[in-house]
Amino acid sequence: MATTVVTGRDLTLTIASTNYDAQATSATLSNEHTIETYQTLDGRAYKAIDDNWTFTVELLSDWGATSSLCEAMWAAAESSPNSTLAVSLTAATGAVFAFNVLPIFPSAGGTAPGAQTQTWTFQVVGTPTETFS
Amino acid sequence: MTASTVEVSVRQAIATALASVSANVYSYVPETPITPAVCLIPDSPYFEITTIGRSTIDFKVNLVITAMVSYSSNPAALDNLEKLIVSILAAIPAGYELSTVERPSVTQVGASNLLVADIRVSTYYTQTN
Repeated sequence: MATTVVTGRDLTLTIASTNYDAQATSATLSNEHTIETYQTLDGRAYKAIDDNWTFTVELLSDWGATSSLCEAMWAAAESSPNSTLAVSLTAATGAVFAFNVLPIFPSAGGTAPGAQTQTWTFQVVGTPTETFS
Repeated sequence: MTASTVEVSVRQAIATALASVSANVYSYVPETPITPAVCLIPDSPYFEITTIGRSTIDFKVNLVITAMVSYSSNPAALDNLEKLIVSILAAIPAGYELSTVERPSVTQVGASNLLVADIRVSTYYTQTN
């Protein structure tokens, strides 16, 4: 098959129906797959027992800006910490990952000469829904 | 709504902010700068794509602010250059990343010698329309 390269520029990031591509410098959905190993009389046996999904976003801080992601996330974490936010990650090649995350409080401040940035690691609730076209 | 440009949103914006500095400010490379002078030129890489997605054109713009003073007496020229650099740093508006001030060097422009130092700054630009 022909080589297909998908870059970060081919992604679209939507949190609670708002597109945040212009602020986000990185967005990664990842899974920690827990497999237990048993030593049996017949040899090693394996059993997948759990999955934990996390969603990590790196972005430029946008405190005070119109439609600020940092402010929206702070408000969500403060007022509804147990209510999930819908996230959609779409690759230009057609794959769509839809999932829900719990809000977290953003950080404030930064290094003297550089841009203020954020690194958020969200707990994904449930299992992401994938649509491979 | 008129489309934004790097010239208006970034280069002219910083040139306007530097107007308070006691020097001639150029938002381009002049053939014969009149010292003391401040010149805004592109750094390398000029544009860096730092955000994900293609729904907006958004990138980091790297610029060099070159501070130039006449070079006749070495200690006086260095003092003048340091004062000019400090006044430039104070005038740089919010939203600009400051990284380093490069080592001063002597540059010959036409018949005159200039003491020159580069200040590296960056900012973020989002295309509208």
